[in-house]
Amino acid sequence: MRAEARFFKSLSDETRLKILWLLSGTEELCVCDIIDVLRITQSKASRHLRYLYHLGWVTDRRDGLRMNYRLCVLPGSSGEKLLKILEAMLASQPEAQALRGKLPRCIEAKQHAQCAGGLKPERKVTANPV
Amino acid sequence: MKKEAQLFKSLADETRLKMLWLLMGREELCVCDIMGVLGTTQSKASRHLRYLYHLGWVTDRRDGVWMNYRLSVAPGSPEDRQLKLLAEILSSRPEAQALRDRLEQWLAAKGQSKDGAAACQCS
Repeated sequence: MRAEARFFKSLSDETRLKILWLLSGTEELCVCDIIDVLRITQSKASRHLRYLYHLGWVTDRRDGLRMNYRLCVLPGSSGEKLLKILEAMLASQPEAQALRGKLPRCIEAKQHAQCAGGLKPERKVTANPV
Repeated sequence: MKKEAQLFKSLADETRLKMLWLLMGREELCVCDIMGVLGTTQSKASRHLRYLYHLGWVTDRRDGVWMNYRLSVAPGSPEDRQLKLLAEILSSRPEAQALRDRLEQWLAAKGQSKDGAAACQCS
């Protein structure tokens, strides 16, 4: 029953939960999208995404230096059922809704900024007020 | 979203998963039943049961020096849905079936040796 415990462990971490939540609301995300929305470091995002990858929750697609991830749970599988439970739990959560709400803005901003190698787009340098 | 992660974390441990699985098959279990079936120490069993208690998965009922536990999830709640999914996954696992069989044997043996709770090995 270790495999089952590991299965539930995928969602036992707040960051992984948020990543799956974001991915289940969209088709595909670049690592930098996740970094932007969750405000975490690239190493943390990549670590959790690789964890999810090795457990079979997501697949990856390399695009130059960038790595993109998408969910790959089979319809009717335990993974899909667990994600549906998560959806039901978070649907009424303002915090979860706010996260998804941030996503389009981050993706749009990315199109204007540089997004290479899954690195965070450079922050706008604000002039120091005199 | 910390609360949700915590809820999933309760199922992320093999011992807790087994305990919930055993409780799903019976109305109420004594700590000693769980110890006997899983072959764990009393401190480990109690620790995990208290963990499940504090997250609202189970309620307790004291009976002398022994503590009894039963599931306390509301029908239709996320916890209930998680348990149903767990039951669905485990129902095809021989290992999980063997655990339930062991529980039946354990309870039968306990019932034969004197009367119910008094026969509790640990009392």
